[in-house]
Amino acid sequence: MAPPRTYHCEALILKHVPFGEADLLVTFFTRERGKIRAVARGARRSNSKLVGHLEPLTQVNLSVAQGRGGLDHVSQAQLIESFAPLKDDLKAITKGFYLAELVDGFGSEANPNQPLYHLAVAGLNAIGQDPESELSLRFFELHLLKVSGLMPELYQCVECRKDLAPGSHRFSPDVGGCLCPDCRPADAHVRPLSLRALKVLRLLDRSQLREIPSLKLSDSLAQEIKSLLGMSIEYWLDKQIQSNSFLEQLHREEKSGVYS
Amino acid sequence: MTPDAIPAASPSLARLIQELNRLPGIGPKSAQRLAYYLIRLPNEEALALADAISAVKSNILFCQKCQNLTDSSPCGVCSEPQRNQEQICVVEDPMDVLALERTRAFRGLYHVLHGVISPLNGVGPDQLKLKELFSRLTQEEVKELIIATNPTLEGEATAMYIRRHLAGQELKITHLARGLPVGGSLEYTDDLTLSRAFQGRQEL
Repeated sequence: MAPPRTYHCEALILKHVPFGEADLLVTFFTRERGKIRAVARGARRSNSKLVGHLEPLTQVNLSVAQGRGGLDHVSQAQLIESFAPLKDDLKAITKGFYLAELVDGFGSEANPNQPLYHLAVAGLNAIGQDPESELSLRFFELHLLKVSGLMPELYQCVECRKDLAPGSHRFSPDVGGCLCPDCRPADAHVRPLSLRALKVLRLLDRSQLREIPSLKLSDSLAQEIKSLLGMSIEYWLDKQIQSNSFLEQLHREEKSGVYS
Repeated sequence: MTPDAIPAASPSLARLIQELNRLPGIGPKSAQRLAYYLIRLPNEEALALADAISAVKSNILFCQKCQNLTDSSPCGVCSEPQRNQEQICVVEDPMDVLALERTRAFRGLYHVLHGVISPLNGVGPDQLKLKELFSRLTQEEVKELIIATNPTLEGEATAMYIRRHLAGQELKITHLARGLPVGGSLEYTDDLTLSRAFQGRQEL
């Protein structure tokens, strides 16, 4: 018997681009099948039954018809969660786009990763609840590496495998995590790692997302952690994160008092 | 598609296919079909198309006021004295001006952004005509700014950025109503649109 030509899945819409006269080419990350790109016919028409259900940062149930050798087609979409609080705040939307870009980058096509799916949904909820929290994004970044099998080593030196003693260490995504002061691998991009930053990274590793908002960090420590995780993510993706530049611009404009 | 991928019999045909292939929504096969169609056209019709492309590229410029595409600046809309000079409607691209003009519901001026903030594509405020909008608002006697970006997430982000930038100024900022499309159906409407339609309900 031939396999069914339509499948159903729960998905997070990551992005879409115009396709043809009135269609959309939609990229979504499904709980059951990993990342998928499919065409939504007529979805740009205002009276399409799909309109509104396929906006980025929306969780939906989809019915998708398998294409014959080409792209699949979205035939039905039913909204599960629109993350409405997130969509009322510019910074939260931008953080949501950043999250979607990372899921797009780390999620692979037709390769299910349920922990990544649940992490992304929880991350969007956390951003909506507290758009100002930077730590929830750091939590997402670290656990994204973890569920993708790329978690940096935070407890032992990646070269000599000795437990890290309290003190200043170094960090390198090239070699897979922390280095003790004695190990100096050649050709690795290495940067200093303060003890406080190491402790926060370990705490993020062991914490639940709901525990994160209670943490308060100094600006310099928050910046160090952001930079370390950003370096790891760009190393593994081998490209710059596009949405990060607008997020940085919003931070800069806020600090310079443009909106005061 | 590179010219090398086309049979080497005609480098000029290969070049035409390559150029057509650059157009949005045109794949290699469609580019070939269009190229062979153009070859079969009478000379004057094919040259008229080439002439139209050439003329549009040499004559079209941005209107100094609204940034719409025009043959002369200021454009026809900005030059109309009967237009309400105190209202500016901000749209994403020139086609939105045509759509709004068709309705005859708006008799103010426009400002065309030529895109929306799209973080995923690396498009930020600096790539849009936002600086021109903010500078225009300091020079003209504008009382209402109507934001008519598309009701997409990127359109909303652009509207929020504009509102955030102009916060505290003595300017009425509105955006087009969100809700149900004519001919639509409640059953298939997403929750966010339905809730906004409820928020924006009007007395009969």
